[in-house]
Amino acid sequence: MLEISHLRKTFGGVKRALDGVSFTVGQGEMFGFVGANGAGKTTTMRIVMGVLQADEGEVRWKGGPLGFAERRRFGYMPEERGLYQKMKVADQIGYFGRLHGLSPEAARSAADELIERLGLTERAGDAVEALSLGNQQRVQLAVALVHDPDVLILDEPFSGLDPLAVDALAEVLQERARGGVPVIFSSHQLDLVERLCDSVGIVSAGRMVASGTADELRAAAGGRLRVVVADAKPGWAAGLPGELSVENGRDVLIVGEGDDQRILRAAVEAGRVEHFGVERPTLTEIFREAVA
Amino acid sequence: MNGMLLVAGREIRTQVRTKGFLVGLVVTVVLIVGITLAPKLLGGPDSYTIGLVSSQKLDVPDGGDIEIEWRSYSDEAAARRAVLDEDVDAALVGNTRVLSDGKIDDQLGLILQSAHREAQIQSAGVRTTPLSMESIGGDTRYDETRSQLAFMLVLILFMLVVGTPMMVAMGVVEEKGSRIVEILLTSVRPWQLLGGKVLGLGVVGLINLAVVLVAGLGAAFASGLAVDFPPGMAGIVAGIVVWFVLGYAFFAAVAAALASLISRQEEVGNVLTPMTMTMFASYAVAFYAAKEPTSLVATIVSYVPPFSSMVMPVRATAAEIPVWEVLVSGVLMAVAVAGTVVFAARVYERAVLRTGARVRLSEVVRSR
Repeated sequence: MLEISHLRKTFGGVKRALDGVSFTVGQGEMFGFVGANGAGKTTTMRIVMGVLQADEGEVRWKGGPLGFAERRRFGYMPEERGLYQKMKVADQIGYFGRLHGLSPEAARSAADELIERLGLTERAGDAVEALSLGNQQRVQLAVALVHDPDVLILDEPFSGLDPLAVDALAEVLQERARGGVPVIFSSHQLDLVERLCDSVGIVSAGRMVASGTADELRAAAGGRLRVVVADAKPGWAAGLPGELSVENGRDVLIVGEGDDQRILRAAVEAGRVEHFGVERPTLTEIFREAVA
Repeated sequence: MNGMLLVAGREIRTQVRTKGFLVGLVVTVVLIVGITLAPKLLGGPDSYTIGLVSSQKLDVPDGGDIEIEWRSYSDEAAARRAVLDEDVDAALVGNTRVLSDGKIDDQLGLILQSAHREAQIQSAGVRTTPLSMESIGGDTRYDETRSQLAFMLVLILFMLVVGTPMMVAMGVVEEKGSRIVEILLTSVRPWQLLGGKVLGLGVVGLINLAVVLVAGLGAAFASGLAVDFPPGMAGIVAGIVVWFVLGYAFFAAVAAALASLISRQEEVGNVLTPMTMTMFASYAVAFYAAKEPTSLVATIVSYVPPFSSMVMPVRATAAEIPVWEVLVSGVLMAVAVAGTVVFAARVYERAVLRTGARVRLSEVVRSR
């Protein structure tokens, strides 16, 4: 279990980047980290990876302090991609495997496997600079995965990928998570986060404003009653809470809180009820609400 | 240690595989062989072939490096043909006339003339004794060779000691600017990364130096110039290697520390200015020391690190310097290298993850 607790970080004595960020990611859990640009996602990840030092707070791994030896078993994809431009794809992935302590043979076979898995077979002998950005991103991911890491920390791994590459990457990440690896990734693609992640953290202005499973977040955000009535008598909703609008010639009543049974009776009397139910907000809506 | 060797291995492979490296090596070899052979090619020949027609061989005095080969011809016509065909440099006919194609070579003319005069005097029954030459100053036999060697050494050391740390600086900025360093430093320690880079590029520099030395010495031996080498040449060569290692270690550490302050290749030249100025100053004094190895300025500077790394080997080549002087200077330099490496590693460790605008050195030194 990776525990991030009460991280604080101020840059240059003025700009407060993190103001007490805490969350935990369990074994095999996929954690989606969302937030506006500059909210503190990258700073948090850089502190976890030891690239930055926190002013306060700590990161613990499996109940103990997180040090160099433990981080060496982490896989990291930084926000700004970094690869040796003139080095060949296979050599590069293998080199990082070796740096993480793999034997030459193990590094080569791990590199070959990832190259095949990520659809880079034809480019294995090319210099990185000759690759498209999307392919460079795949190489970057391979570099993060080559040593079969204990934890994955990926900053915006999906940005700039085509839908097929997104699927390939998602599959690889899910597979690692199933193998018991905690995966933390940040993304602005909220639908993707909702689809892939077991839990989500929304960070805003250096604070974790909401976190939990997607269902918990939705439940916490509360449901809204949505009633659709066709051929309704005008003025039927006058005495009821909520907002009335017209969609496709039907009256639509959205109610945050109220006596649902009374609303149902009124709707049945007013006309033909086509829809009556509680709607959970989407992650995007929760996100908008949370960072507003 | 393993991490450092991996980093060093990558640096060596990356450099050695570039076209620039091979082209650079070939150009250096051609240049060095050219410089080594130049005096021989430009100077006059030291052997002549002389045709003889009804003449006796002349008794050319020993002592010079001049060799003369005599070749007999049956008549003057044959000798004339040989002269015009350049089979012989000149032909002596009937002990009285010398035939040549155009004006005769100055040196050859003098030799023949004096040998002929000597022969005539001797045949008149007069005994002559040649002048004996004796130097009452120091042994200057090797002075010329020594200063030629020293000049070449200035050139080689300057090229390598300036060029190799520059590669270190560019490598550091490449990793910092592209943020590869963030990934690297999760798997290796800063000192491993820095040490590996300096070690790897140092090996590349040593390969360059070895090629230069082998090419130069090889050309010297092949052309017979090596006979002029002063005694203790092996020591001089070994000294060059040691001094290169010391000078490189010093400047590479400084280059890495300075380069870790910046994030863009364009800034490399700018941030390295203090270092390059120091190198040029060393170069200037070393150049002067090649000419005046025992002058006061050259002597003093040959003890001051890091200038000593270029000046002392040049002085020791240009003149005979007592071994203890070289050792004292070497120890001082080694101490300076150790201090600089520790300081540079600290600066590098603190600055290399601070991307963005240029980091101020004073800020890095003061931070915890």
